[in-house]
Amino acid sequence: MYNDEFEKYYEEQLIQGGTTCCPGCGGPLFWKLALKTLGKNTIVYGDGPCAMCALRSIKIPHYAIHFSFIADGATGISAALRAKGRNDVTLVSSGGDGASSDISFGKISAAAERNENMIQICIDNEAYMNTGIQKSGLTPYGAWTTTTPTGKESNKKDIPMIVAAHKVPYVATASVAYPQDLARKLEKAKSIDGFKYIHTVIPCPTGWRFDPAKAVEVTRLGVDTWVNPLYEVEAGVLKVNRKAEAKPVQEYLGAQGRFRRLSKDQIAYVQGEVDKKRDDLLANDAKKIIH
Amino acid sequence: MSQIVRSFAPKVDQEKCIGCDMCQLYCPESTVMLTEEKKVVFDYRFCKGCGVCANECPVGAIVMVKEGTQ
Amino acid sequence: MSFTRMMEGNEAAAWGAKLARADVVPAYPITPQTELISNIASLIADGTMKTEYIKVEGEHTAMAAAVGASAAGARVFTASSSQGIAFMDEPLWIPPGRRLPIVMCMVNRSMAPLGGLRPDHNDSMHQRDKGWILLYCENSQEVLDTILQAYKIAENPEIYLPVGVCYDGYFVSATATPTTVPDQAKVDEWLPPYKHEWYDLMPDSYKMPPPKSFLKQRIGVAEAHQKAKKVIEAVDVDYKKHFGRGYGGLIEEYNCDGAEAVLVTMDSMTGTAKDVIDEMRADGKTIGLIKLKCFRPFPTEKFREIAPKYNAIGVVDRNNSFGSAGGGIVAVELARALYDLSERPVIANFHVGLSGTDVTMNQIRYMADETLEAAKKGKVKQVVDWVETHDLGEVM
Repeated sequence: MYNDEFEKYYEEQLIQGGTTCCPGCGGPLFWKLALKTLGKNTIVYGDGPCAMCALRSIKIPHYAIHFSFIADGATGISAALRAKGRNDVTLVSSGGDGASSDISFGKISAAAERNENMIQICIDNEAYMNTGIQKSGLTPYGAWTTTTPTGKESNKKDIPMIVAAHKVPYVATASVAYPQDLARKLEKAKSIDGFKYIHTVIPCPTGWRFDPAKAVEVTRLGVDTWVNPLYEVEAGVLKVNRKAEAKPVQEYLGAQGRFRRLSKDQIAYVQGEVDKKRDDLLANDAKKIIH
Repeated sequence: MSQIVRSFAPKVDQEKCIGCDMCQLYCPESTVMLTEEKKVVFDYRFCKGCGVCANECPVGAIVMVKEGTQ
Repeated sequence: MSFTRMMEGNEAAAWGAKLARADVVPAYPITPQTELISNIASLIADGTMKTEYIKVEGEHTAMAAAVGASAAGARVFTASSSQGIAFMDEPLWIPPGRRLPIVMCMVNRSMAPLGGLRPDHNDSMHQRDKGWILLYCENSQEVLDTILQAYKIAENPEIYLPVGVCYDGYFVSATATPTTVPDQAKVDEWLPPYKHEWYDLMPDSYKMPPPKSFLKQRIGVAEAHQKAKKVIEAVDVDYKKHFGRGYGGLIEEYNCDGAEAVLVTMDSMTGTAKDVIDEMRADGKTIGLIKLKCFRPFPTEKFREIAPKYNAIGVVDRNNSFGSAGGGIVAVELARALYDLSERPVIANFHVGLSGTDVTMNQIRYMADETLEAAKKGKVKQVVDWVETHDLGEVM
């Protein structure tokens, strides 16, 4: 048995093993990877979606209210840090997809507009998973949820680009399937003053309907098919981080039960949308897109 | 002590293992660790048996076996 | 240096926040609170006040940011009115349970629909079940003094509750009355810097209270309210000792000696009522006045102590509680407080001044007379009297 070694390991990782999340959940995986970069001198604000049950196991200061309170409490903490002259502390504010795109959407927009000094992270598992898989503004087209039993009819909000349009200093998409890229982006966000936004789509085997063992594999497919491309917008300049040739979206959609009902036409539609997005990103790569 | 809720548990074939660290990197629950001697060990107190480590292992050194037989 | 000049309630409140050295002020404008926060913005702009003023995008965020800042060790001040307080409803539940000593001015204004911009008390009284201490003020001076007292009460480790400092929109917020702004050094001496003994969010000194059960948390808030009654009175006495002004703590008894009946008023109407009571006393009528300063915690013991002296209490409710057990919010509270006394006065109840209509001297005289009559007969004519439906002559 290696219990003592593991206890030491958990202290180093800043997260306790054995969270209350489902097997294969991307939440604890994200926080394990993120905390490595963020380090001990960090306050994490936020709560809500079930992926964030992982936050109850972290070993650094954590404060949350409810999931309808994204970015706002962090605004208060940020002001308190300024009042105390503590500019050494990294402030992270996290929210789920429902919080970020629906109920607290205005709060993120307002914090971005005020350029609050914080790293706002959207942990996007693409539905209200805590209440048992209901559609959110970040649920993708065609996905089954308990409130879209025949598949979602509208598209996913493009929150990273919406936040970028606020002219904040830094916006990035990141993935737990590409940990080095994720670490680099958090490192960069840490080094910049003002409002930084990181969007990460994390796997939810329970809500997406797939074998938990494939959690990382499916997330990687999301990136490799360009459904969830990796890019960053720094000072208005777009940089596409992973330009590998796109795999067909069918590989990503077919790996998940939530897209089981999609017809050939619908899959073709998704492929078309993804192609347009990829072409658009590549055409604007290394260019100033926010003026 | 935590209750064991998993049906399957990971088991490593140390002979096959190349010490690449992928299992430790991707384990969502931080319950896989590579020791200083490059030995893969699991925290069976908290492992949920999701199987991500076995799936991500590039050489198939980790297999999921029925709980209790690891 | 201390100075005295004519000052509107909102400006006095801004000076209160300044003197208390509020570290963080998250606020969103709403009539009639707006001048309070624009006054704070001016005090910051001219270098008089040093505070982090967060111009938030709505009241929900204002209170949420207040929660974050208070937990992170900042003294927090905010303010709102009416629909704004209602929009804050969800976050307003957080500070009492988390025991965060936030002070918020509730500049009273009636609620929709058909609510005007002028005051009644439903907006702040809606908060009565959440765990906020609610103090009501009569004029600018009392607003300023009550804000300073509020921090002292809220930040008492035995209490750790948020305090709402309530005053009528327009009648207090926008009416200038002579106000003394005490010396900053003297306030600093009386009100030490804020430090929460339970919370510290800083990574190097992180401290969080252990999780409690829902029941234990709720009982904790209830007990703090019970303790707060003594603390509120003591703070008022201490404040008077230092600054020369006091407000009676929980209630103020005015011209009550030998009275057979009393009116209970709150907020700005009290000034008018005091004048009427003086006149009626001169006419030989045995009526007194109780100003209810502290609505939460409700001064139950205080009322039980003084109630047997009177045959009737006329409660003036500038609020509605539709479908209640009988009448306005204060009347129902008072009835419960006195219910099991063997000797208790009858309770007359009046709705007046709703949506900020003037509470006239004639109306007060009418309510006093009705209460005196109830005292004589030992019963009231009706559960609640909507005073404004009677033609009581000219508005003066």
